[in-house]
Parts: sequence; C-alpha cells; structure tokens
Amino acid sequence: MALLRLKNIEKIVDGERILKGINLEIEKGCFVTIIGPSGSGKSSLLYIMGLLDLPTSGEIFYEEKPLNLRDQKFLSTFRNQKMGFVFQFHYLIPELTLLENVMAPQIKAGVSFKEAEERARYLLNKLGLSGKERRMSYEVSGGEMQRAAIARALANDPEILLCDEPTGNLDSKNTERVMEIFEKLNEEGKTIIMVTHDLNLARRGKRVIEMLDGEIRRFS
Amino acid sequence: MKAPIFISKAFLKKRKKQTFISILGVAIGVSAFIVMSSLMFGFQKYFIQQIIDIEAHISIKPKEEIEAERIIRRIEPEALVKVYGNKPKEKDRILGWREIIRKLERHPEILGVSPHLESKGVVKYGAKEKPVSLVGIDPTREAKTSVIERFLEYKNLRELESNKDSIILGKVVARDLGIFEPGKKVVLALPNGKTRILKVIDFFNSGITNIDSTRVYLSLKTLQAFLERPDEVNVLIVKIRDVNRAEALARELKKEIKYEIESWQKAYLNFLKIFKIQNMITYMIVFAIITVSAFGIFNIIMMTVMEKRKEIAILMAMGYTPRDITTIFLFSGIIISFLGGLLGFIVAWGIIEYLGALELNIEGLLRSKGFILDKSIKYYLVGFLLNFLFSLLASFYPAYKASKLNPVEIFRSL
Repeated sequence: MALLRLKNIEKIVDGERILKGINLEIEKGCFVTIIGPSGSGKSSLLYIMGLLDLPTSGEIFYEEKPLNLRDQKFLSTFRNQKMGFVFQFHYLIPELTLLENVMAPQIKAGVSFKEAEERARYLLNKLGLSGKERRMSYEVSGGEMQRAAIARALANDPEILLCDEPTGNLDSKNTERVMEIFEKLNEEGKTIIMVTHDLNLARRGKRVIEMLDGEIRRFS
Repeated sequence: MKAPIFISKAFLKKRKKQTFISILGVAIGVSAFIVMSSLMFGFQKYFIQQIIDIEAHISIKPKEEIEAERIIRRIEPEALVKVYGNKPKEKDRILGWREIIRKLERHPEILGVSPHLESKGVVKYGAKEKPVSLVGIDPTREAKTSVIERFLEYKNLRELESNKDSIILGKVVARDLGIFEPGKKVVLALPNGKTRILKVIDFFNSGITNIDSTRVYLSLKTLQAFLERPDEVNVLIVKIRDVNRAEALARELKKEIKYEIESWQKAYLNFLKIFKIQNMITYMIVFAIITVSAFGIFNIIMMTVMEKRKEIAILMAMGYTPRDITTIFLFSGIIISFLGGLLGFIVAWGIIEYLGALELNIEGLLRSKGFILDKSIKYYLVGFLLNFLFSLLASFYPAYKASKLNPVEIFRSL
C-alpha cells in the first residue's frame, strides 16, 4: 500500500501548466529523490506532496484515503503531524533559540511545554547539537543551522520528511553529514522525499524520479 | 492558542525598542484620555453641582412680556430673542406667592420653596464701590431649601433675621471692596435712591466667580422695607428631589402657574452648551492621540509582517493555520495595547495625584485652590476599552494580511 499517492496532478500557474498529469506512488519507508533542471516542476511537486500548495486538479491519497484539499485547517493539522519540511535555507525563526525552534511545531500540536522541551533536547542531541540548545540561530554555523532545521522537521515524529534542496547551501562536509542523517533516518523508517540538483546526491536515494517540463520522465 | 502566543511573545521580545515605543504611544493616548477626562469632568461636575446647590432647581418669576414689534430677531424658537427698549408692562412681583408656595410644597417631588426679592444696588466701602445683585431671603426657609449655609464662611445666616441692618457679601464683592473680615460697615445704595448703612456679618463663597462677584444677601423683610415693597417677592426658588427632573417638572408646573418657570438646565443652558463643545473638542484631541498611537501599533505589526514573511511561511509549513497566523499578530497588538494601557494607568494616576496636590489660585469661571479633578475609575475603564478597541482595529488588518500570505510564493521568492 502506498503511503502517498498522487493521481493526475495538474498545476497551472498564470496560464502555464507547470505540472502535467502527475501520477506517483510513494511507499512507506522509501528514500525518494527528485531530480531535474530548474523549472522542471520538482519543487512544485514537492510542495503539492507536502500539501503546502494545492493542485489545480487531481487527487492526493494518504494510505489510500483521499485527502480533503479544501479544508485548510485539516491540511495544516496534517502537515503538522505527518510531515516535516527541510528547505535549502534553514528558515529557523531568528527570535527563537534552537530549542524553541524545535519546540514550535510540537506546541502547535498541543504538546506541553515540558514534553516539547524534552523531545527538542533529544532531537538536538541526536543531531549533534547538544549544548547549543539555548543558542540563537545566528550564533551557530550554517551546518548546525541546517541540522537544527532537520530536528525541527522531526519534532512531531512525522511519517514523511520533505526536503527541498536541503544541502544546496552547505559545503561538502556539511552536505555529507546531512545526507548521512537522512540515510540514518530512512533506515529508522522515515519516508524521505528530497528534491536536488545534484545527481550524485540523487543517486543516494532508493528511488530517483527525473522530471522535465512538469512531467516525470523516468523512474529508477 | 498557546502556540500563537508562544510565537507572538518571541516576536515582541525581539523588537524591544519598537515594542516599547508603541507601548509608550498607547500609554500617552490612554493617560491623555484619563487626565483630560478627569480635569474636564471634574471641573464641569463641580460647576454643575455648585450651581445645583446654590441656585434654584426651578425658579418662578414674573413673565417678561415683549411686544411683538420690539422683537428684532428670534434666535431660537423657544427662548432667546433680541429685544431693544422694552418697557415691562407687568410689575416685577409674584402675586399670591404664599398660596403658590403652599401649593408647591404639597408636590411630592418638591423639597421646599423659598421666596426671594431680587434687585440691584451698589455697595460702598470707603472710597470703593461695587454694583451688586441684592437678594432678599427668608433665612429660615432658605436654610431648609438650599445649602446656602455651607458656603458661608462664618455660618451667620440666622443673624440676618435678628439684625435687620446686616448684609452677607459675596466673597469677591468683599475682596474687591477691601473687606476681609466681618463686622465692617458698608453703605448700600438702592435703586430708589435711598442709602442704608449695613454691617457685614458673613461672606458667601461658592467658588463660582460669577456669583461671588455680584451677589449680596439681606433679610427678605429688610430688603422689602428698603425698597418700599412690603410683602412683595419676585422670585420663588424651588428645590426638588431629583435635579435631573427639573426640566420635566418645570414643564409640568407651567400648566398650573402663570409665571415664568425655568429649570436650572435652561437657566444655565449656555454653560451646558459650552461644556458640550468643550467635551467635543477635548475628545477630538484625545481621539487624535489614540488614533496616532493605534497607527503606531499598526506600523509595528505591519513592519513585522513584512519582515517576517519567511517565518510566516515556515510556520505555515509547520502546520500553523492562517487563523494561528492572525492570532500571532493580533496578540502582539493586544499585548502592546494591554501594557500600554497599564502604563497609561500608572502615568495618569501619577499626573492626577500630582495635579490634585498642586496648590494654585485658579480664578476663572470657578475659583479654587487647585485643579478640580474627578478621580472616577470609569475614565480608566473607558480609556482602556477605547484604546483596546483601537489597537484591535489597528492590529487586525496586518494580522489578516499575514494570514493571507502564500507560503509557496514566499519560498519561491527567497
């Protein structure tokens, strides 16, 4: 059974079809990478899979149940509990410490401050940020920021981790470290969908989807 | 609710300087409202209360008949007309005044009625002289129907009865003549050309300059004798239970009594109108201050929204709903409004206490030894609610705009 299934997804922006009849199944526990040139629609596809953006037409199924794409509150709750996002830039909230950044999605989910703090500490520790919990985002390095962003994405123990060029802003050392984290998380059972420009990184996925002009050209 | 508040507090904390300036703006608006209301209503209420205590709630006097051809211009349909060279037809007196008093005293709403004989005169003391309004009163009745004794510095009202050649001077009349203690002898020149020497037994000090600078009291019988108008009165002073009913009761009495009947509201209509205009002007100023402080809130929230677009997008990606986003920014406005309101309370309280403690000789419409303030808590509440409402309105638009941001568009634009 597919964890996530996209059926005939179309996306039209300003009269231009940026996604053309996408049909795609993502199995639970899979590490999927999406590769393609700029403008091929890979990020658009990722945002739609993450329910951040809505398709112009088509359906999305989660564990074979169709999702109500019109219910804004449902989609927000679904994102909060089932999905975690990692972007090219860390997008940590600069007003919050690393700890508070990881607590933020949990507090939204209704977790108590105490429990949220415990889990945030655990995740930061797991990602090698122990002792830096009280630091602000601008007080740590780029690689540490991205790891904190991954910790935040994992805060509510989501089923799927959606990553949009997560290493695009990192040096090779930090890129390797982040990729290792993803691979480890995948081994632990997390479903990972990662958009990348880098063919070498894409090859580290268990499944590679190649996109061109809003269409899936090839699965591997 | 706790998630938006968690984020909102963090946003506010980060922008300490701007937040503090906004809080200060709100505090200025709230304190200005409270202090100005306290000063304005303190003065107005005191003035009205003094008028109610000193003057008739309803006065009954002979009608001023005006020949139609002498009316130059009617200003208002009911009351004011400009008349030049009118010769009164009626004699200035109330006929059957004892019967009228008896009748009025049976009315359940009327506390008492006192007869007055009022005229004009000139009081002389040494080389100084001063035109005055003479009021002949029955001290026993007057004490029952008014609080005149409260305004007498030596409480010698009864001496008017026992000493026929005595006079009570208005405080400002006495001061202008150079009299600062009772016992002095003054000469009273009357409209009939006669003069009398009278002993000053007390000073009437209501605090209302207009009254204290013109009025002198004599015994009714003494004045009747001086003016050679035995048993004549020309004004009946009516005190009623509920002063707010004066106008309605005056209208009711008009049906039964043929004389001119005027409520205190009508007698002081000009003052009440001035107060209304004064209130309007003051509130316009306060409204402007509160609007400016609300714009301060609008500005800081709008700026935060503009600068926090990527944070808003990431919050939405985390699962924060558009409603949560609205709440985050509305809460910022509420916090600023609340803290500003609180600071405004403290500032206003401090200013009011300071003004209240100031010893100043204020002389204008009223005379007092300092500012007359109304320290009612109601101004604090109204100020706070008004500010809260304005702040909420000011925060709502940027908060709503924030909730309408599209996270995908933001991510693409970064």
